[in-house]
Amino acid sequence: MDDFLLGAAQIFTFTTLAYMLAGSVAGIVAAAIPGFTVTMAIVLTLPLTFTMEPLQGIAVMLSVYVGGYTGGLISAALLGIPGTPSSVATTFDAFPMARNGEPGRALSIGVWASFFGTVISTVVLIFAAPPLALFAVRLGPWEYFSLIVFALTIVASLVGDSVIRGLLAGLIGLALSTVGTDPIMGRSRFDFGIETLEPGLPFLVVLIGIFAISQLVSEVEDAGNVRSGKALVTGAIDFQTWKVMREVLMRPVNLIRSSMVGVLIGALPGAGGSIANLVAYDQAKRASKTPEAFGTGEPDGIVASEAGNSATAGGGLIPLIGLGIPGSAVDAILMASLMVHGISVGPRLIMDHADLVYGMFIAMVVSSLMMLVVAVCSMRLFLRVTEVPKWLIVPVVMTCCVVGTFALNNRVTDLYLLIFIGIAGYALRALGYSLAPLVLGVILGPIAETNLRRALMTDGDPTLFLTRPVSLIFLLAALVSIVWAIRSHLKKNKTSERSTNASAS
Amino acid sequence: MNDTGRDTDRAAEAGEVARLISYILILLASAGLFVAATKIPTSRFERLGPGAFPEIVFGGIVLVALIATVDALRKIPRGAYGRFTAQTAAWVRKRYLVFITLGAMTAYLLAIPIAGFPIASLVFLFTLQVILMPRRPRSIAIAAVVAVVFSFGLNWLFAEVFTVFLPRGVL
Repeated sequence: MDDFLLGAAQIFTFTTLAYMLAGSVAGIVAAAIPGFTVTMAIVLTLPLTFTMEPLQGIAVMLSVYVGGYTGGLISAALLGIPGTPSSVATTFDAFPMARNGEPGRALSIGVWASFFGTVISTVVLIFAAPPLALFAVRLGPWEYFSLIVFALTIVASLVGDSVIRGLLAGLIGLALSTVGTDPIMGRSRFDFGIETLEPGLPFLVVLIGIFAISQLVSEVEDAGNVRSGKALVTGAIDFQTWKVMREVLMRPVNLIRSSMVGVLIGALPGAGGSIANLVAYDQAKRASKTPEAFGTGEPDGIVASEAGNSATAGGGLIPLIGLGIPGSAVDAILMASLMVHGISVGPRLIMDHADLVYGMFIAMVVSSLMMLVVAVCSMRLFLRVTEVPKWLIVPVVMTCCVVGTFALNNRVTDLYLLIFIGIAGYALRALGYSLAPLVLGVILGPIAETNLRRALMTDGDPTLFLTRPVSLIFLLAALVSIVWAIRSHLKKNKTSERSTNASAS
Repeated sequence: MNDTGRDTDRAAEAGEVARLISYILILLASAGLFVAATKIPTSRFERLGPGAFPEIVFGGIVLVALIATVDALRKIPRGAYGRFTAQTAAWVRKRYLVFITLGAMTAYLLAIPIAGFPIASLVFLFTLQVILMPRRPRSIAIAAVVAVVFSFGLNWLFAEVFTVFLPRGVL
């Protein structure tokens, strides 16, 4: 208890709170720009925290982290472009809702879901950090591979109109992930002698090209509409703070399930927000009584995606605090910032520096509260985006994408890659391929390959995938997921046939 | 059936033909890459080599693309192929702004290493805005201000605040 109060005393000082507020704003703004990720925002913050107290520094970085997960929502909802990889699933429903004239409600649902997601994950973190960390570290490559196989079955619920094109898109994503040096032996593959391709396709360039450029270009398809000076999103700019809070709280099952998905995926090293939002969305869609409403502006979809990605913030801290293993790039930077101050992170952290650990928990809650306040106060400003005409916003966001792409690696060749992928993305979109499975494939491909090969290197016996209990559970879950998807697809076809027959007669 | 209905049907048919072409292209490309993957040397230290995972993936693509091709060939009526060129031309004409935008973006990205980020962005932003907008003196003035802010302004912000230096060009 003493340690808890000691931690709290360090957080609730004027300077720390002021720094954290600045961190929240910086995180939200950075993540709202396509191409800038939470990781980049935290990397830029790191040097600023060197002069601070350890807990103060880490509290500021946590507030950037939490703010960043919310910022991705803004461009996802208003422009249909995921600001960060962790808000890909948010575009599926928040964007249609904003397009249907409710941009304020879409943002508000996302902000509240993010807030509750972070709070739930912090509560879980406090109680479950030690046991969960022990469980996560016991998983071998077999379990990871089976987990990824399970995650890949999500493609089934992201396919859109056509199962076959969705499958193709997912496989193309996996294929794109094999470009460059192979993850185990470092042998170069499919680079065709082009230097840029040697280290592999930069994931963020693919994401910006596929989602942002193709989305922006499709905005100018209707020449008459653009020339009339119409705005991107029209409708009421009403944030409806309290009404939406009740609306989000009325979906407790979805909220808790999505947050738990986020915590569990966050706790697994190597996974993270970019997968959690898609898994949570998929689970919500499957559990819903009206799965066909998903993708048209369903509030449950926004809640699932945003609660899922925000909950990974708490989840990711579980192996970090419990075992000193960073689960994601962001956690590695948090760990680095502690090490700069001479604090070794490992299983003894909670014993030696309990005040610091409790302080981190408190900082998580405080920063999610700050995010909420900043978001509610500044949303009106962000919603001004809705008044900007298309002819202005399309070129400006394109320039932002170019800057984001360049700033990743300071490479001009990435820009050529961007336009190439952008054109390919638009072509696929125009041909009716859904782009979400493609992105999922690019994310999961390297993890799947590394673990498959590592498993067979450790032990040549392939039956281990079936005989190790946790691995078997994941594989069975994958099987159930596929059967479920086929069943619901057949059911959907039957209903649509029936309705066409009914309308024809 | 009225004329608009027939037009929509014909456009949908042309879409199916375009998709068929995409399946065939994907099929050919992945078959070629599958063969390339089998030629990646294996290592004696592991059971699966660097080529194994790509083989699985490209093999999967070949299979799915084959099914898609057969399915599409079965569905498309014969006359659709003859009408395809005319339909595609109509589709492109309707979306001419898309092609102008993509062209402008390509030119912009190619110009960045030569003219430098601020100048290339200024020209790109102003030109594309003027092409897309309903041209009035007020909107042209706004476009000019926006172009300056997001080219020279953004360049300044990145250099001074984030110490990220955007390309300066050789001019």
